[in-house]
Amino acid sequence: MKFLARRLLYSLAILLAISFLSFLMLQWAPGDYFEAMRMNPRVSAQTVEVLRAQYGANRTFAARYVTWMGSLARGDLGVSFAYGTPVGPLLWPRARNTLLLTGSSMILSWLMAVPLGIWSAARKGALLDRFFSFATSTVLAVPDLLLFLLLLLLAVRTGWFPAGGMVSSNFDDLSFWQKAGDVAIHFALPALGLAVVALPLLLRHVRAAMIEVLNAPFIRAARGHGIPPWRLLWRYALPAASNPLISLLGLSIATMLSASLIVEVILSWPGLGPLMIQAILARDVNVVIGVVMLSSVFLLAGNLIADVLLFASDPRIRVE
Amino acid sequence: MKGSRTFWTVLILLAAFHAVVLFAGFFAPYGYSRQNRDFPYAPPTRIHFVDSHGHFHLRPFIYGWQASSDSYGAYAVDSSETYPIHFFVGGARYEIAGLIPSRTHLFGVTAPGQISLMGTDGYGRDQFSRFLYGGQISLAAGLIAAALSLLLGLAIGSLAGFYGGWLDNALMRGGDLFMALPWLYLLFAVRAAMPLHIAQGQVFLLIVVVIGLIGWARPARLIRGVVLSAKERNFVIAARGFGASDFYLLRRHILPHTYSILLTQMTLLIPQYILAEVTLSFLGLGIGQPLPSWGSLLSGLQQYYVLASYWWMFLPAIILIPVFLGYSRIADALQERFAVVPL
Amino acid sequence: MRLSRLSGSIVAACLLFAAIAAATLAQSAGKATPNELGTPGGTLTIALRSEPKTLNPAFAADQSSQDVIYCMNADLIHINRESQRTEPDLAESWTVSRDGKIYTLHLRRGVRFSDGQPFTADDVIFSFRVYLDAKIDSPQRDLLIIGGKPISVEKIDAYTVRFILPQRYAAAERLFDGFPILPRHLLQNAYAESSFSKAWAVSASPSQFAGLGPFRLAEYVPGQRIVLERNPYYWKRDAAGKQLPYLDKLVFLFVPSEDAQVIRFLSGDTDVLDRFSSENYSVLKARESAKRFHMDDLGASLEYNFLFFNLNDLAGKNLPQIAAKQAWFADVRFRQAVSSAIDRAAIVRLVYQGRASALAAQVTPGNKLWLDPAIKPASHSVQHARDLLKAAGFSWRADGSLVDRGGGPVEFSILTSSSNAQRAKIATLIQSDLSALGMNVHVVTLDFSAMADRLLNSFDYEAAIMGLADGDADPNTEMNIWPSSGGMHIWHLNEQRAVTPWEAELDRLMNQQLVTLDYPKRRQLYDRVQQIVANQLPIICLASPDVLVAAKDRVGNFSPAILEPYVLWNVDRLYVR
Repeated sequence: MKFLARRLLYSLAILLAISFLSFLMLQWAPGDYFEAMRMNPRVSAQTVEVLRAQYGANRTFAARYVTWMGSLARGDLGVSFAYGTPVGPLLWPRARNTLLLTGSSMILSWLMAVPLGIWSAARKGALLDRFFSFATSTVLAVPDLLLFLLLLLLAVRTGWFPAGGMVSSNFDDLSFWQKAGDVAIHFALPALGLAVVALPLLLRHVRAAMIEVLNAPFIRAARGHGIPPWRLLWRYALPAASNPLISLLGLSIATMLSASLIVEVILSWPGLGPLMIQAILARDVNVVIGVVMLSSVFLLAGNLIADVLLFASDPRIRVE
Repeated sequence: MKGSRTFWTVLILLAAFHAVVLFAGFFAPYGYSRQNRDFPYAPPTRIHFVDSHGHFHLRPFIYGWQASSDSYGAYAVDSSETYPIHFFVGGARYEIAGLIPSRTHLFGVTAPGQISLMGTDGYGRDQFSRFLYGGQISLAAGLIAAALSLLLGLAIGSLAGFYGGWLDNALMRGGDLFMALPWLYLLFAVRAAMPLHIAQGQVFLLIVVVIGLIGWARPARLIRGVVLSAKERNFVIAARGFGASDFYLLRRHILPHTYSILLTQMTLLIPQYILAEVTLSFLGLGIGQPLPSWGSLLSGLQQYYVLASYWWMFLPAIILIPVFLGYSRIADALQERFAVVPL
Repeated sequence: MRLSRLSGSIVAACLLFAAIAAATLAQSAGKATPNELGTPGGTLTIALRSEPKTLNPAFAADQSSQDVIYCMNADLIHINRESQRTEPDLAESWTVSRDGKIYTLHLRRGVRFSDGQPFTADDVIFSFRVYLDAKIDSPQRDLLIIGGKPISVEKIDAYTVRFILPQRYAAAERLFDGFPILPRHLLQNAYAESSFSKAWAVSASPSQFAGLGPFRLAEYVPGQRIVLERNPYYWKRDAAGKQLPYLDKLVFLFVPSEDAQVIRFLSGDTDVLDRFSSENYSVLKARESAKRFHMDDLGASLEYNFLFFNLNDLAGKNLPQIAAKQAWFADVRFRQAVSSAIDRAAIVRLVYQGRASALAAQVTPGNKLWLDPAIKPASHSVQHARDLLKAAGFSWRADGSLVDRGGGPVEFSILTSSSNAQRAKIATLIQSDLSALGMNVHVVTLDFSAMADRLLNSFDYEAAIMGLADGDADPNTEMNIWPSSGGMHIWHLNEQRAVTPWEAELDRLMNQQLVTLDYPKRRQLYDRVQQIVANQLPIICLASPDVLVAAKDRVGNFSPAILEPYVLWNVDRLYVR
C-alpha cells in the first residue's frame, strides 16, 4: 500500500513537471494563435491586440502559468483561443472515444502478440517464425499513415467497412442493439489498424524475451525432466519472461496514443487526435496542454499498473 | 551451421545495397534536383532489347515518351524515338563519397530521352536517382538518431537498474516525463530558430539528432528491466562477493545481457527513425526541397491521389521492406550469438 | 453600371434586381442559376475540414464556423455569389442620400426568427451595436470603421433603419453581407451582463439559438457532426409559392483531412464536396459516372498566390545580412528579372494540373467585374531576365553563378508555409527556375504560425510565397494591402509614408476608389492599381487555382460559385431529387 501511495505521489509530481515544461516549450516555439490570425487581411492589428489582451496571452509566462494552475484546480483547464470555451468540456467526450479505441486495440494486440510471440519463439528458425519475422518487418517498414490509408482504401473499394466516423448518419433513429452494432462496425477498421501497428513491436519483444528464457539452464533442466513442451512454455518460461513484457505494457500505451492521433485524423474518429493536430498547428496553447496532460495521465496510469504488476509478480523487486 | 550461410548472404546483400547508396552519384543517372517538366508522374521506363520491327539489339534501349495533350500525367510510348543505353557516360557533376568530383555515371541515355527506372515524381524528377541520394541522408539520420538514443538509454537504464533506490526512481520518473512531453513543439522551435541559410540537409540532421536525444527513455526502461533481473543472478552476486568493482560487474556480467535488447532496439529504431520523417513531414518538419530522403519519398504516398493513380510511387516502399527485413535478420543472428552469456 | 445608377438617385430595389439579373445573364454567357422547383424533404450531408469553433457570428473567424453560420443566419443586403452583385434580403429596398453618406433601409415585414419571434428594426439596431462594440471587438468590426470613424445606426420606425457613414464609401452596400442579424430577445441579456462572448458557443443548447437563415441548429455531437434542421419560419418562397428551404436536414460531418473527405464522398457518405486539390479532381473525375456524381471546374477563384521580397525597414532589427540584400530586392529590375524567369505555365501545369490561371496582378480571371484584361502575365524568358539583371549591374562568374555589383553571390531563401502543399511545390519550381539565372535559392518551409511571426514581427526573412483570397470581389477588400498604411502591406509593413512614387500613387488610387461611386471611373482607378502591381511588382503574382467542386447527381439546384461558401451559397434552394 505504501508502495502504491508513493508511486501516486511521484506521478503527481511528474504531471506537475510535465505541465510546466510543456508551457515552457510552447513558449519557445515562435508565433502564436493570434499571429496567425493577423495573416487574415480582414482582421486588423488592433483587433488582434485586443483579443490577445482578452485571453491574457500578452502576459508574462509566470502569470499565465499561475492562471492555468488555477483553472486546473477548477477542472476546466483554461480557455481555448479557437473555441472561446473552456478546454475541459472540449476534452472529455473526445477522451472517452480515444480511450475506447486505444483500450480495445491494446487488448486486441496483446491477445495476438503473446501467443504468436511464444509460438514463434518455440519454433525459432522454423518457417512459421520466419513468416512472422517477415510480416512484422513488413509492417514496420510501412509508415503508419500509409497503412491507415491502405486500410481506408480497402474499406472504400470493398464497401465492407464504413469509410470513417464513429456512427452512421441515421444513428439517432436506431434501436439500442442497432446502435451498438453501428458503433462496432465503425470501430472495426481503426481498432484493427491500431492493433496491427502495435503488434510487430510487441511480438518481437515477446519473442526475444521468450528466447532468452528458453535458453536459460532451468528450462533446459525442466525439459530434461520431461515436462511437456506446452506446459513448459506457459507455466515455466512465460512467467520468467514476463518482467520486460510488463514494462513494455506501460510503454505500449504511449505508442498507442501517438498512433491513434493519426488514425483518428485519417478515419475521422471523433477522439483527441483531430483536436490535437488542429490545436498544434493553430497554437491553441491550452488545448494542446490539455491533451498533453490527459495523455500523460493515461501514460502514467499505464506505467503505474505495470509497476504494480511487476511488484506483484517478481518477488525480487518486492524485497527492496 | 545452417543459419550462417543465410546470415552471410544477407550481410553481403545489405552491404552491396549500402555501397550503392554510398556511391549514389555514380549509380544514379541524374541529379536529385533535376526537373524534367515535360514528364511529371511518368511511369517507369521499360528497357527493350527487341525493337518494333522485331530486330534484336545487343545494346538495350528505351523508347521516348509522348505526353498526352488533353489529360495530365498520361503518356504514350513513342516507338519512333529510340535511345540506346550507354554505360560509364558523362553527365551531371557529383562527388564520390562527398570528396572526389566526378562526372561519370554507370548508365544513361542521350537527351531528350530520359531513363527513369522507378518513374518520375510530380516535378518530372527521376525517382531512382532520388531514392539513391535519399538513402544517404536517411541512413545517416537513422544511424545517428538510433545510436544516440541507445547510448543514452544504455547509460541511464543501466545506472538506474544497477544502483536502484532513489537514483532509479529519479531516472525512471525522468523517463516518464520525457515520454509525455510535447516534443513536437521543441522541434518546431528548433526548426524555426535556425537561420534560414543553413543547408536543408543540416537542418534535417539536426532535427534528427534532437529526436535521437529525446528517444532514450524507452530503451532505458527496457535496459533497466534487464539489468534489474541480471544483477540478482547468482553469478553476479558471487562476483560481488569476490570483491568485484561496480564497473567490472557492469561491464563483465551485466551489460552483456543487454546486448540482445540493444540490437533488437537498434534494428527497430533505425527503420523507425527513418519512417518518423513521414510524420514529421505531415507536420512540415520533414526535409526541405529539393533534397530527397526515404522518409520524404514515402510521405508522398500519403496523398490519396498518389495512392490511387501512380503505382510506381510505391517502389521506394517496396524496396525498403526487404532492406529493413535484412536488418532484422542480422539482428536475430547476432542476438543468437550474444544470447549465450559466458558464465 | 450598377453603381453609376446609384449615385445621387433613388433606386427601387425591384428594378435593381432586374438589372442584376440581366447583367448576370449577359456575363455568364447563358449559364443561368438553375432555379428548378424542388421537392421538399430529404437530407444533405457535407464534410467540414474542422469543427466550427463558435456559432456566434460576431466571433467566427474560421471557415467552418462561417459556413455553418451562413446557413443559420441572414443579412440585410446580400451579395449574390453567382452574379457577384448585391441583392435585397432582409432589407427589401433602400435609398441613398445625395451625398452618398446616408443609407435608409426598409425592412421586410412579417419575417420571423427561427423560434417564431418577429424580426424588427430593434434587432438590427441591437446587432450593429454588438458588431460596433469595441469591448466585444468582433473581427468584422474593422469593416464598419470607415476613414477612422465608425458608422452609426438609427432606428426610424419598427421597419426602417438609417445607416450614416462618416464619408462616401464605394462598397457600402456590400458591407451588409457578413453582418447577420442577431435576435435581440435572446441575446440582449447576455450582452447587458457582458457575457456575450460566451453566448452561442457550439456546445450551447439548440433552444438558445434563433436566426433568420434557412436552417436552425438541431444537434451538435462533439468531434462528429452538426445537424441543422429546416427553419419553419423562413420567409423565402420559391416561384410556385412553396416555402423554402426544400431540405429537412443539413448535416455537417467533421472530416479532418482532404483525402479523407474525398474518400467519404466517394463512399457516398457526403453529397457535395469542395476545397480539394486538382490531383484529387482527376482521381474523382475517373469515377464520375460509375458513382453517379458530377464534377465542376468553376474557373479561377479569387485566391492569388504570389512571391514577394522583404522590403521592410530593418533599422533597429539587427539583420545586417538581409538589409544588405535589400539593395537587390529594392531594384525593380531585379524583381522584374525574377518575374520573367518564373515559368508560370509550368506552375499551372505541374502544381495545378492545368486547373489554374497564370496571373499578372492580384485580380484573378474569376473576378469578372474588376479584372483588367489588358494586363498579361509576364512571359517566361530567361534571356529577358538576364538582360534586366545585366542592366542592373549584376554579372556572372565562370561557373554560371550570379554576382552583384560588389561581387557578392546572389543567394536568398524563399519562405513558405508547410500547411499548403501547392505553395511549397511552387517554391520548388521557382527555385529551379531561378537557378537558371545563377541565383542560389533555398526553400524554407515553416509551420504557419512561425512563418507569420517572421513576416509580421521579426522581419527575419528574405522572400516568401503566400496566397490571399478575398472574401469578396470588390477592391475595398484590398484596402488592407495596397495603401502603405495597410495592415497587410506585407512587403513593407508599418510604412509611415510611401517611399517610392509608385507606392504614393497606389495610396492615392486606393483612397480615391474608396469614395468614387461611379463604376467606370472606379474601375479606371483600380485598373491603374493593377498596372502598377504588374509593372513595379511589389508582389510577384503567380497563379490562381480554380474552384473545384463535386456533387452527387441527386442534388438538385446545385449551382456552385467562386465566392464562399462555394457550394452552400444557395442552400435554401438545394433539394434532393
